[in-house]
Amino acid sequence: MRRAWAAFTVLVLAAACRGRSEAPSARADVARSGTPPSSSTPALAALDAASEGTPVAVDGGTLQRRLLGEPTSLNAVLQTSLPEAQVLQYVQRNLFDFDAALHLVPGLAASMQVSPDGREYVITLRPEAVWEDGKPVTADDAVFTIRKIADPGIPAPVFQSLYDGLERVEALDSRRFRTVFREAYAFREMAFVMPVLPAHRFEGRDFRKAPDNRAPLSSGPYRVAAWKSGESVELARNPAYWGPRGHFDRIVLRIAPDNTTAYRMLLAGDLDEDQMDATLKARAESEPRFSDCCRLVEFYTLDWSYVALNNRSPFFEDARVRRALTMLSDRAAAARDLYRGSARVISGPWAPDSPAYDASLPPLPFDPAAAKALLAEAGWRDSDGDGTLDRDGRKFAFDLTVPAGFETGRQVSEMLAAELAHAGVTARVRTLEWAAFIERVDAGEFEAASLAWSAVDPNPDPYPYWHSSQCPPHGLNNGCYRNPEADRLMEEARRELDPSKRTALFHRLQRIFRDDAPAIFLVNSTQKFGFDRAVRGVTTSPLGLSGIWPGPVGWFMEPIPRASTSVKRPAA
Amino acid sequence: MTRYVLRRLVLAIPTLFGIVVIVFVLVHLAPGSPVSGGGEALRRPTGRAAEELRRLYGLDRPIPERFGAWVSRAVRFDLGESFVDRRPVGERIREALPHTLLLNGVALILALVIAVPLGVVAGGHPEGALDRVSGVALFALYSTPTFWMALLLQSLFSVQLGWLPLYGVASDPAPSGLAGLVDRLAHVALPATCLAYGTLAFVARLVRSGIAETREADYVLAARARGASRRRALWTHAFPNAILPLLTLFGLLLPALLSGSVIVERIFAWPGLGRLFFDSILARDYPVILGLSLLSAVATLGATLVSDIASAAADPRVRDGTAT
Repeated sequence: MRRAWAAFTVLVLAAACRGRSEAPSARADVARSGTPPSSSTPALAALDAASEGTPVAVDGGTLQRRLLGEPTSLNAVLQTSLPEAQVLQYVQRNLFDFDAALHLVPGLAASMQVSPDGREYVITLRPEAVWEDGKPVTADDAVFTIRKIADPGIPAPVFQSLYDGLERVEALDSRRFRTVFREAYAFREMAFVMPVLPAHRFEGRDFRKAPDNRAPLSSGPYRVAAWKSGESVELARNPAYWGPRGHFDRIVLRIAPDNTTAYRMLLAGDLDEDQMDATLKARAESEPRFSDCCRLVEFYTLDWSYVALNNRSPFFEDARVRRALTMLSDRAAAARDLYRGSARVISGPWAPDSPAYDASLPPLPFDPAAAKALLAEAGWRDSDGDGTLDRDGRKFAFDLTVPAGFETGRQVSEMLAAELAHAGVTARVRTLEWAAFIERVDAGEFEAASLAWSAVDPNPDPYPYWHSSQCPPHGLNNGCYRNPEADRLMEEARRELDPSKRTALFHRLQRIFRDDAPAIFLVNSTQKFGFDRAVRGVTTSPLGLSGIWPGPVGWFMEPIPRASTSVKRPAA
Repeated sequence: MTRYVLRRLVLAIPTLFGIVVIVFVLVHLAPGSPVSGGGEALRRPTGRAAEELRRLYGLDRPIPERFGAWVSRAVRFDLGESFVDRRPVGERIREALPHTLLLNGVALILALVIAVPLGVVAGGHPEGALDRVSGVALFALYSTPTFWMALLLQSLFSVQLGWLPLYGVASDPAPSGLAGLVDRLAHVALPATCLAYGTLAFVARLVRSGIAETREADYVLAARARGASRRRALWTHAFPNAILPLLTLFGLLLPALLSGSVIVERIFAWPGLGRLFFDSILARDYPVILGLSLLSAVATLGATLVSDIASAAADPRVRDGTAT
């Protein structure tokens, strides 16, 4: 237990302490095999820590967090969306986790050894790790979980693709297991940022309907105390937890689908944390009622937005045309006016905080004159003088599809359509309900589509999204971008186990992506949260608040009573 | 009368079947699929995993076959399992149903308690001051969007005055006994008001026009001539006749008890059927959509039947088929 404590402190509080003897050996192993992404610290991420000085964690109190919707299943393998991830982070430890700087840190596992050919991983579990019922977390549990993830009959969308090339997985003894993949893959170790399920609770039960899917057996600092459908999930401390105990006595995750209501709940003290959109952020900044009780936490993540162009369509098969469209878009103005300054223009399919991103490569300029020249060079001219460009009798007019509810995406699309109209290109902005929208995009049946890329992990591998072998209907290269040179570099990067060589490959790719413009790369924008001032220890990361360890598990409530707490705080 | 009821009952069966067929076909023909999930999915299943999911959900089979399987289960009161969390559809509906019944029940009572007397008094003096003022006010109410009213009520009663809770069905932790009941009622007050005011405006105008017509009728004049007071003539003679259209309207209002309201339930974080229905549509959770549609179809047919029978009992012309 002491050892775990020390390890925890060392891992979480200070990167500088990494080499000390109390730290488990896992860290060194991970570093050897792998991916520590660039150490660039995003400017805004430091904001929170800086404003707090060096807080000393205290225990006790109740934390009230917001869930956007009802979790579907608390079976960690079956999870699909953010509400499940938010709850499960307290309840199910992963084998490994990402820390705030996106390094892998040990969780249920103590260490990872990789074979020289990069195909075999031997993972050793912590001896002290136990389930809520006191039974040890075993290699059999891990093997059981990986087999479920790899089973195509089990819907495990969050983890399944990580185990695509799995050859076999087997327990070596009660604490060690071996996973063998068909080939080496540069980002393979990210597959082990995965939960472990207690095999003994699923014996003889239908995995998809087991009682544990509503009331999971905890391996983390908290356990599920109550789940009121549609209202809240309540967590209490897991007395059997093997690691350092969580700071809060109780955690209530309230389901509040409406943004305005959630904002008012924050001001009324019914929530301690609330994710906000740009409109509410602007409102919060101008309201003294907000600054009296709460503070804003804003930071850049790995998410970025773009307009996908169907490279198979006669409009966008020519790279000059795609580049022209990018140059017709005043992305800096969109970042300034539509994102209210909380966005950065990007030059390729990564966010600036991604290890793959080359910040020295500027985006294509906003240059309508040069763009028009490019369009003319590609044969698009206004031959009949009607104000719209045409080529071989075909007008340059296409549908730009936007998913309903993606307000910023719609605004950016309207702005783009206006900018294109000046150059004689007609983009008809069409809104489609999400499920209908994404079905078309996945099938490659669209001309242009407004999309945002949301990062679940820091894996920068562009292969699944831009390699020519991944065109619809089977892959995620929705616009079916094809470039033999880019294909070759992407294949090489997947096999390159040396991080610095890999980064060089990504930088070469980014230049190709920028100049080929397979899509209109737009911006990387911030996530915004309102926090009750009493909540401390908040760490931000390019993966958001929840995708890291300890993340929210490290939060605590400030012990000193605030001046205003003696008076019942007026709501909103 | 018995024959009339039996005939209506038998006629309800093909109607119900027709509704179910249409809903089933519409749901399955609509673009989008349960495999792509909701907009907030962290990762979408693709390729082989997506195909396996389609097989798992039975989406690889032709629509008539799926329909047959669904009907054969539904007649045994088995609505299947939700695609989203693999729990029985019946269980998910049962969880949300009490919340919606409470909210809509309170809203309906609130609407009627205010609307009927208002309609009678306004109709008693057509073009009088009260009638004119209430006419304009009710029209304004009827045209007020619910989401705006909801935010306004929250601002005033929860935020400014702090009298009523902002959201949810009960406090956390919920008090017990009488205090618990008061707590529940305080929570239901604002959302119920939001749901009530539209119905209120509608019903009040309906009652008003009924009264305005019947107050001129010969039997009301006759009652007045016999010396009945104005109030007595209105309530005892005009009102029962003016209320006939209200009985028919009831057939439309009662199923609304079960239908839930997406907007009000979202804003007040109310875990009712409206939110369940909306989320199920977004996720293309076919079994839940079908279960809820069946529930509301049965409720509508049942309520229409009851209101028709009530009309028949109240009005011999309906029963004999001589009504114009």
